[in-house]
Amino acid sequence: MTSLTPIHPDTTLIALIDRVALADEKALRELYELTSSKLYGVAVRVVTNRQWAEDVLQEAFINIWKIAGDYKATLSPPMAWMALVVRSRGLDFLRRRAVGRADRMQELDDVISDTVAGDAPNPMDVAQASEQAKALHNCLSLLDNKQREVVSLAYMRDMSHGELAVQLKLPLGTVKTWIRRGLEQLRGCMAKLA
Amino acid sequence: MNLIQNPALLEQLAASYALGTLRGGARRRFEALARNHAEVRAQALIWQGRMASVAELQPQAAPSPVVWQRIENLVKAEKESKAMQAARAPAKADKTWWDSLNLWRGLSSMGAGVAAVALMAGVNLNSVNTKLNGEVQELTAKLSATPEIQYVAVLADDKAAASMLVTFDPKSKRLTLKRVGGFQEQADKSLQLWALPTAGGAKSLGVLGSDAVMRLTAAGSDVNAPTLAISLEPKGGVPSAGGPTGPVLFKGALIETAL
Repeated sequence: MTSLTPIHPDTTLIALIDRVALADEKALRELYELTSSKLYGVAVRVVTNRQWAEDVLQEAFINIWKIAGDYKATLSPPMAWMALVVRSRGLDFLRRRAVGRADRMQELDDVISDTVAGDAPNPMDVAQASEQAKALHNCLSLLDNKQREVVSLAYMRDMSHGELAVQLKLPLGTVKTWIRRGLEQLRGCMAKLA
Repeated sequence: MNLIQNPALLEQLAASYALGTLRGGARRRFEALARNHAEVRAQALIWQGRMASVAELQPQAAPSPVVWQRIENLVKAEKESKAMQAARAPAKADKTWWDSLNLWRGLSSMGAGVAAVALMAGVNLNSVNTKLNGEVQELTAKLSATPEIQYVAVLADDKAAASMLVTFDPKSKRLTLKRVGGFQEQADKSLQLWALPTAGGAKSLGVLGSDAVMRLTAAGSDVNAPTLAISLEPKGGVPSAGGPTGPVLFKGALIETAL
């Protein structure tokens, strides 16, 4: 795990978001160049399909263009704010697709099973992450891979215990236990850092 | 409330609330508590912030360059539509008042100019006025003799029903599009305007917003084609180089007119 000094400090991103709020197209372009890889990763994670993720990334940036003026009031690290915009656009996308499509679960199924199946190495990436995200990352690293993956999936796809159990083909009790223990460990770890 | 006396339980609930796994009645009860107790609200906000960082930790991936192209098209279309609305607003106001204001502005500045020339050169004001009047008349005659070249295209669908009226003014490089049919693309699609030259592939002239009337900027060399067409594309359109990817909905000949 590398912990490089961020190449693009938050201040650069905040200044760009401020300019985007004033309808500065050049600033939007710069913001896109600095963050699109990270944010596309978020979109891929939520919708699990590269083509859909591109549509989501596009919608998210149009959204950022329109609501950049609201950013300051959130008091969030800029990358966290933008990642949340991408996540909610991604969740909207899945909801829209789910209308009239019973096969959606099936489509997602294989991809998710693959990620949780093996004891895969930590897939998290601290590049461009805020200080807060790095702290969370340190704590998440203490969980075992499957626990971390279930917590991460629950958040990124906004899934309930029941949905996770069906998707991961795990007993409901196992999912509940993993999440409860995962959150307990996170709580203890974050308390020490705070 | 005993939850407040039990910080570990409060944090655990706040964490599962932020994660999204606290659902149904438990979630509603937690939200009600948060509204009434600042400590509960604070924990919920802290954990929402922490969980948001999960999104920041996802691995990176490179999107196709097409994505930026589509974003740029949409942002341009939105800016154009805003500018149009702004331009339309004062035009709606009393037109005669606006016209006369402009006329008076013109006259008074001309008057000032004439006075300055007269003072500096010490020439007869009447002769300057006569000369100036003559020049203005000459210019007006010249202007009215040179016809304004415009291009018009009526784009029709496959049943020959007119759907889009396009005019192009090469002087201002303005393409004006007016929807005349009832066609409305779905929210996740965009209409894209293409020039179809006699040689070479289709050239994109821009992506349409959802307004009934919209303007695009285009160079005469781009519009120089016998036919224009509109295709249905993914939201934001596609890059010009690849040509249309969706079905061509409307098509029509571009005709030169002297107005």
